[in-house]
Amino acid sequence: MFTNRAEKLFIWVFFPLALLMPLLLDQNTYYVNKLATILILSIFVMSLDYLVGRCGLVTLGHALFYGLGGYLFVMLAPEYEAVNFWIYTFYVLAIASVVALIVGFIVLRTSGIYMIMITLALAQMCFYFFSDSTEFGGNDGVFIYVKPETHVFGLNLFDLDNPTHFYYLCLLSLFNCLLFFKLIMRSKFGRIVDAVQENPERTTALGYNVFHFRLASYVIASALGAYAGYLFALQYGFVNPSMLSWQTSGTALVMSILGGLGTLYGAILGTLVYEGLHYGFEHLTENWLLPMGVLIILMVLAFRHGLAGYLESLLEKRK
Amino acid sequence: MDITLFLFQLMNGVQYGLLLFLIASGLTLVFGVMGILNLAHGSMYMVGAYLAWYFTNTTGSFGMAAVISVIIALLLGILIERTLIIRLYRRNHLDQVLLTIGLIFVFNALQSLLWGNDPLGVAVPAWLDGAIPLTDMIEYPVYRLFVSGLCILIAIGMYLTINRTRLGMLIRAGESNRDMVECLGVDINRLYTLVFAAGVALAAIAGIVSAPMVSVVPGMGEHVLISCFVVVVIGGMGSIKGAFVGALMVGIVDTFSSIMLPQVSSMMIYILMAVVLLIRPKGLFAN
Repeated sequence: MFTNRAEKLFIWVFFPLALLMPLLLDQNTYYVNKLATILILSIFVMSLDYLVGRCGLVTLGHALFYGLGGYLFVMLAPEYEAVNFWIYTFYVLAIASVVALIVGFIVLRTSGIYMIMITLALAQMCFYFFSDSTEFGGNDGVFIYVKPETHVFGLNLFDLDNPTHFYYLCLLSLFNCLLFFKLIMRSKFGRIVDAVQENPERTTALGYNVFHFRLASYVIASALGAYAGYLFALQYGFVNPSMLSWQTSGTALVMSILGGLGTLYGAILGTLVYEGLHYGFEHLTENWLLPMGVLIILMVLAFRHGLAGYLESLLEKRK
Repeated sequence: MDITLFLFQLMNGVQYGLLLFLIASGLTLVFGVMGILNLAHGSMYMVGAYLAWYFTNTTGSFGMAAVISVIIALLLGILIERTLIIRLYRRNHLDQVLLTIGLIFVFNALQSLLWGNDPLGVAVPAWLDGAIPLTDMIEYPVYRLFVSGLCILIAIGMYLTINRTRLGMLIRAGESNRDMVECLGVDINRLYTLVFAAGVALAAIAGIVSAPMVSVVPGMGEHVLISCFVVVVIGGMGSIKGAFVGALMVGIVDTFSSIMLPQVSSMMIYILMAVVLLIRPKGLFAN
């Protein structure tokens, strides 16, 4: 399944290391939480990477679904009662898919630069909807007082109040997410999605409805984006409109490019490095945006294939 | 709502629309001629407002501050185009988006470094301070009339430049075929630098004249940028006429919805955009 050498290497290093991480950190709550957030963001970035890198659909409004995932839980779950995590995962995925179907129907009528602007504007619309609503706490957002329990067939796998347990849930989710996208890419559906990006006209000539494949991809990526937002909301116990802000979408885009667009595993790499730099810059200076901005500009100008591309060319040379 | 109040709000809406036009026209001009989507366009608006505040305080005169700020904005435009944008002409939209996001980060950081994060205010210059009474209760500020007038003058100036001058002819030619214009012996790079600097200056002018009307705060650029996107999407990307019509529509809808439908007012312009897109996916005046 993982044919590329760089990809194989990364996966064999990353996942075992990630498994051991809580032990290595001696279950230090702060760092385990921090890493869990990075895993959640990786899922979000990976879903965006699939959309932008694999389907050629550049969106600047992916945060719409990230926020939606969080707010859906707040809307659906009773306030003071523990609900079942798996059932609500299903709800979040299902409702986010329906929303993505409607949004996708509007935004996929356009392409290129138009799609960038429309996705941004629609996400912004939802941002204002939630930040103006008194029902959802406006700018302050909503607290989640009781975390869901994870009973399935009488088996309680994860205690979500325990950071280490939560971390492993995120790691499992990320691994499944990567596996899922890999399976998609290998299936007939994935081959056609590749063809659509390569040459939409020829794919149409072969008798495939390009719009349907784009819409299906959009729904898949958006639902997984919402799942990431749902995990994020559960981790910190609150949702607020900043999850839907354009900065969330923009940063995710930067992370996926930094990792290497369309490589999927690059999404993890990009998120790790970006968050690492963010952490480092933040400790150096209050104005961490300045070095980060300069770095992004340099990355676009000089580092065009991302970290995954760099890794691949390194391995290529050694062969 | 009686007729006076209606007219008063209409004037507000038109004034806001004209201001939006100023910013959106720069965005659409740069896209139409150069094929560049500049997300940092809103940052230029912010830079204009902060420069106006800074120079009003140092020189003591708003007029003086405005002139200095426009010159700085033009130079900034030239600098950004020559060093960064020039490398993007043959690249895809994604690279443009990323590089200009990087620019937003840099400008936001510089703003917080140089001027801090507290909201700042600029006083309306004395010679424009005052209000014209419409009825016993309602009066309209002179400064807002001045801003509307200025925006209309700039719009007319742009129209004449693009349609009646040799430079405008080159801009229109560059819009339809870059390579052909180059073959005819025109220095297209100089034209591009000029257009980009003009776009930056338009956004900065909007920021300068807004400074006395709104509070100068961090993040003001991003808010305006997204409204401009809505304008440009409604009007049709690259069309200045479209930007004009779109800006007035957005200005009026936004003003009236905040009075009549306050619960959903901040969403109204996006709903307007979605409706326009469903009918005409490329905007009202797409080429």
